[in-house]
Amino acid sequence: MKKILVKCLLLLAILFQIEVIAEEKNYHKELITDWSRIFPDKNRNAAGPKFFKYIIDKENTYKDFIEYNKLFCAVSGSLIDPDSDSEFLFLKESKSNNKICGNYYRCCVPCSCDVMKYSEVQKMKYKFIDGSREFYVITIKNPCNKNDFPNRVNKEYFCDGKKINNDQVYNLNNRIVIGLLHNGRTCKNDDIDLVKNHQITGRYCELRNNTPLEELDAGMGDIFIKLAR
Amino acid sequence: MFIKKVNYLYKFLIIFSLILPINSSRAEFFKDISNIITINESRLSYGVSVTDINADGNNEFIVTGFGYPNLALGYIDGKLKNIIQEDVFLDRDRKTIGVAACDIDKDGFEEIYFLNTDTYSGTKKYSDRLIDKSNNNYFDLFELEKNIENLNLTAGRSVVCVDRKGDGEYGIYVANYGGPTRFYEIENNTITDKAKTLNLDKVTGGRAVVSGHILTDRADIFAANERGANFLLKNNDGKFEDVAFDYRVDDVIQNGRGTALSDIYYRGRLDILSGNWNGYHRAYVLENKEFKDIGNKAFDRPSRIRTIISADFDNDGFDEVFMNNIAEPNKLFKINENGKFEEIKLKAALETQGFGTGAAVADIDNDGILELLVSHGESKAQPLTLYKAKVEKNNKYLRIKPINKFGAPARGATVTLISNQRKHSKTIDAGSGYLCQMEPVAHYGIRKNEKDFRIEVKWTNGKKDFTDKIEINQTITIKQK
Repeated sequence: MKKILVKCLLLLAILFQIEVIAEEKNYHKELITDWSRIFPDKNRNAAGPKFFKYIIDKENTYKDFIEYNKLFCAVSGSLIDPDSDSEFLFLKESKSNNKICGNYYRCCVPCSCDVMKYSEVQKMKYKFIDGSREFYVITIKNPCNKNDFPNRVNKEYFCDGKKINNDQVYNLNNRIVIGLLHNGRTCKNDDIDLVKNHQITGRYCELRNNTPLEELDAGMGDIFIKLAR
Repeated sequence: MFIKKVNYLYKFLIIFSLILPINSSRAEFFKDISNIITINESRLSYGVSVTDINADGNNEFIVTGFGYPNLALGYIDGKLKNIIQEDVFLDRDRKTIGVAACDIDKDGFEEIYFLNTDTYSGTKKYSDRLIDKSNNNYFDLFELEKNIENLNLTAGRSVVCVDRKGDGEYGIYVANYGGPTRFYEIENNTITDKAKTLNLDKVTGGRAVVSGHILTDRADIFAANERGANFLLKNNDGKFEDVAFDYRVDDVIQNGRGTALSDIYYRGRLDILSGNWNGYHRAYVLENKEFKDIGNKAFDRPSRIRTIISADFDNDGFDEVFMNNIAEPNKLFKINENGKFEEIKLKAALETQGFGTGAAVADIDNDGILELLVSHGESKAQPLTLYKAKVEKNNKYLRIKPINKFGAPARGATVTLISNQRKHSKTIDAGSGYLCQMEPVAHYGIRKNEKDFRIEVKWTNGKKDFTDKIEINQTITIKQK
């Protein structure tokens, strides 16, 4: 009995050490390291779709995929600090027009409003190295036909002529995937109330989303609006 | 029953304490010997270099002063004392930050480049100094009429010596900030900026720079920059090509600060350490024509880093990496086999209240153990500090001092110690850390049961010389033929 107990304690101690020694994957560092690969021309304006495409093309587990997608703003293309908070909001589902609630990781407040107004969600199924999963992705319509394509955005990132450039961004039903809606699910009434009454997604977004575009001067979202509207 | 339980608890604690040291390494690695520095008043200092300024065969620490005198600290009668009093060297009124020494005129004496900066970025008021010696008098080469048109009047940070042609004629790469990089050489007896001809005249936020055998058999350059990509400048017959993107060391959205060359895998080649300001620190090792960052979570943790140094402080045959942070505790890591970084908890040299701005190593007292001099300043005047590792009695050393054909330290050459246990390369420091330059000696501690020593020196022209039958516990001077 004594021997068993001592062995158990030894095992416990070793397990404790292994846990301490084990190196966790540093997703943020990887995105920083590969930034110049993702944006060879150093222009990341509204280039969330480039991040999404880069991430989904990697050999990921589902957990990796989720963690990477917490680290960039789908609207502005900015990196986000690890452990940043997300915004709880809703978006319209393309197919059903239902409201889908979930968490959105953003670089700054206006991006939450812009993503709510100018983008939609679609359900996407994908096979990761640890199995297939379904999740909601945030999409914008094909911007490649625009006459007023914003000149601060690298058009070649998104478009191959008037078509979506499938080598550079992820194309889902002829819409560009710009990011992931985390924990996406059909909204309940309480969820919608929560979003509408929230200081940011409610009052602030109502103000921002009713301001004429030419009067908006906050954040990179303005460029995104020109791309996504 | 109670006694039995206590016994189990004891056993558990014993087992646990046996395993615990895997992560929390030894205490009291350094001892503080700052008391040997005479007249060690609070001052604003930055870069530190190591050279034999008075040509007596012993190196001195050259410490820059930012609105304070530059110092040349020599070891005399058990004390570190300033040995130069000439005004042009002390230069009390200028604000010196970067310093590097090398023989630019092939006379065997290392000229000293002092980079002055009186503005953060762009055009500055006072130029740099290039101190030479004639008839025991120090003078500034830039003050000679013929050299005035080539003054560096751009704010800068670090400087590094580069023997780009491998002929012993050093040039000086000046990492400017908000203006073009400069590369000074003596041509027709005149100091000339050759940056444009050599593809080096880029504008960036220059911070730290190293030179040595990184990619080729000639002097390559790695420059860690701020607000812009790093440069990895491959030497193509004396001209340079930036290959940082291809080799994946451009680190474009981080802000470089301190850098050093280190044989991280003990495999006989120099890889790159790059400390980023409040960003992930890098331990780049070359694998399949790309550098891979192998720094672990403890090593890469962002900090307010300045200088980074790779050296074997405790003579155990494994290098340590010293990270000098400003207004944040310093850090020390041991590089174990396979590039595994193990943090050594510091007590002395932790400097929780220290405003570290530079640091350099040298065996200043010639006892076979390195001393670490740390300078301080920027936003708080502080005295210098000096540390030495607590070395185990049985630890031994070997120091290799390559001298080029002109009799000057062969900065940028690579020394490799080959034994039954390792193939360990070290650069003869041409400039490294942040604003600093280490002693021009390859210092090795000796491992347990290590034998069959052989030394390879790869000179700056890529040619190699070998020395066999090495006795340890000595400094060996190897002269280029």
